[in-house]
Amino acid sequence: MITVNVKCFSQVKYVLQKDEVVFQLDHGTTTDILEKMIREDAQGKLDDVSLRVAVNQKYVPGKIELQDGDEVAFIPPVQGG
Amino acid sequence: MVKVEIIEGPLEFYMNGNHRSQDGAELVFNGRVRDTEHGSKITSLEYEQYDGMAKVELLQLAEKTVKKFPINDLFCKHRVGKVDVGDTSLHVVIWSKHRKEGLEAMTWFIAELKKSVPIWKWAILEDGSRIPSECKD
Repeated sequence: MITVNVKCFSQVKYVLQKDEVVFQLDHGTTTDILEKMIREDAQGKLDDVSLRVAVNQKYVPGKIELQDGDEVAFIPPVQGG
Repeated sequence: MVKVEIIEGPLEFYMNGNHRSQDGAELVFNGRVRDTEHGSKITSLEYEQYDGMAKVELLQLAEKTVKKFPINDLFCKHRVGKVDVGDTSLHVVIWSKHRKEGLEAMTWFIAELKKSVPIWKWAILEDGSRIPSECKD
């Protein structure tokens, strides 16, 4: 098993009512599977929200395999300015 | 040269560049908090950042802007935390030889900031409730 820490921001934080969530996952779990789990936890409330993925504070394109200790964020549309 | 800062608390503007003999243009942009959010009155916005990543993304964007456009310097301050209606949340100054490239760089920099820098707004409504802003402009 691997442990990953998911940071929650904006709509993700609002819907899940959590700043972060720790997951114990099987080796080989990829970011798209974790995103599906987050969306399931949200019970449809994030269905119309596009999410970009950041692993260890860097945007990652497509899906990647997660490693033990990774910090993951599913980033809703940003709104700086 | 670029300089970026993410600041909690009041924001002081950068000093003007009166000493700059090479720059014919000094562009200043101040983004301020409006008093309405999708038709509802608000008292303030609360800016949330992805601590660490936000500053790295902002710095990379500033560096990219200086490479992409023939400008000399770009300085940027972005506030996080609670910002009252009317206050400045974003302050950007660009110095360039001519105005055209400075204006183009400013427009591009702010547009990209709103796509990539992980900062979000929470609207504080008049009844004190706090909801994620839906504003993308």
